[in-house]
Amino acid sequence: MLGIRRISTSRWWHKKKSWIFFGIFLFLVFVRISKGSIYKDFYYFISKPFWPGQFQKEVILESIKQESLINFNLLTKDNIRLRKILSLQDSSNNDRISAAVISRKTGSWWRQIILNKGSKDGVEIGNTVVGPGGLLGRVQNTSLFTSSVTLLTSPESKVGVWVDRIQINGLMVGLGDDYPRLILYSKDADIKVGDFVSSSPASTLLPPNIPIGIVHSIDEPFKARKTAKISLLAKPYAIDWVQILEVKI
Amino acid sequence: MYKFFTKKITMIFFIFVPIIFLWHPNWLGFLGVQPYWPLFWLLPWSMINGSINGLIFGLFLGLILDSLTLDNNFTQIPGLILCGFLFGRIKLHSDIVLNHFRFGLICSFGSFLCGTLYFFQILFKNFSDGTFLLFIPSFQNILAEVFLTGFFAPFICSQLFRMFKSSGRKFQ
Repeated sequence: MLGIRRISTSRWWHKKKSWIFFGIFLFLVFVRISKGSIYKDFYYFISKPFWPGQFQKEVILESIKQESLINFNLLTKDNIRLRKILSLQDSSNNDRISAAVISRKTGSWWRQIILNKGSKDGVEIGNTVVGPGGLLGRVQNTSLFTSSVTLLTSPESKVGVWVDRIQINGLMVGLGDDYPRLILYSKDADIKVGDFVSSSPASTLLPPNIPIGIVHSIDEPFKARKTAKISLLAKPYAIDWVQILEVKI
Repeated sequence: MYKFFTKKITMIFFIFVPIIFLWHPNWLGFLGVQPYWPLFWLLPWSMINGSINGLIFGLFLGLILDSLTLDNNFTQIPGLILCGFLFGRIKLHSDIVLNHFRFGLICSFGSFLCGTLYFFQILFKNFSDGTFLLFIPSFQNILAEVFLTGFFAPFICSQLFRMFKSSGRKFQ
């Protein structure tokens, strides 16, 4: 009798250890069937603090920036070399003079700014003035300590420009409002709103490829020419610091 | 020192006209346009000293202001001379309140005259280059200038008139 009782207590399902192993087995089967999703989710939470975060992003962005800068420098050098071969107008970063705007007339008839650098600092009549965004105007007058700049919006301003998309030269004239007009002497010019306008590569007055503005609206063709309203990229009424570029003619 | 300033107040304000013209305070503007500052000085001066003095100082102001602007082909002199001459023929009214409004109206008229003469010069110069494009911005400029000049004139001109009169010095 005693022997029978011993046998009955020694069955595997009477052992706690066996149930633990069975539980582990079931868990592993579940893991196998779910293709380790629990492990992966668990790993997601514990590895979160060590993910490639902001620092890694900055490193990559910095690398991209450096790559762009190197490309830009290579293209600039190439451009200068080609322009020299073609004997075209050129300007380099060494010829830039930074100046502050000390007087600003951006409304009414007179559209001009006065800068705090003059002939003493090497500013000459005809120098080009650029601000954040692009071209602002040309130096019309210099005194010992100041220089006066005719803005592109002035009725006195007339500059040759280049519409890159349709590869055509045009004339941009100021009318005394905030939007100078682009005159294209071709009725069939396929100019569109949003077209980018820069200084003409063939210009003898301005350095080439300086951003100027974007076509804001197009007027009806009139007498074999097309006119368009230009929205300037550089806003003279808001700019406090400009750069004066020396033009080599 | 006080006596010097009192006696020379007209000339001090005369010097101040080109400075404020250059300063171009945007917060006083409307549609980017400023009041026509020289008229605020020229009106009381001409009313006190007569047409000939008004004409001469209109010429002087025109010369100075032309030297400050870069538009070599256009001049402010004809408008200012005409205004100086016309303002000299205006006599002060006995009613003070009415005088304030008259200052406003006269300055508005002067500003319209100067603006129109300047616009005609631009029109004449750019006759071949799409003249029609100039009309809308130019009208906007003239109207904004006329409005602002007329708006500020009652305050500024009446004050200057009182100061010039009290300085007790007539231009010889």
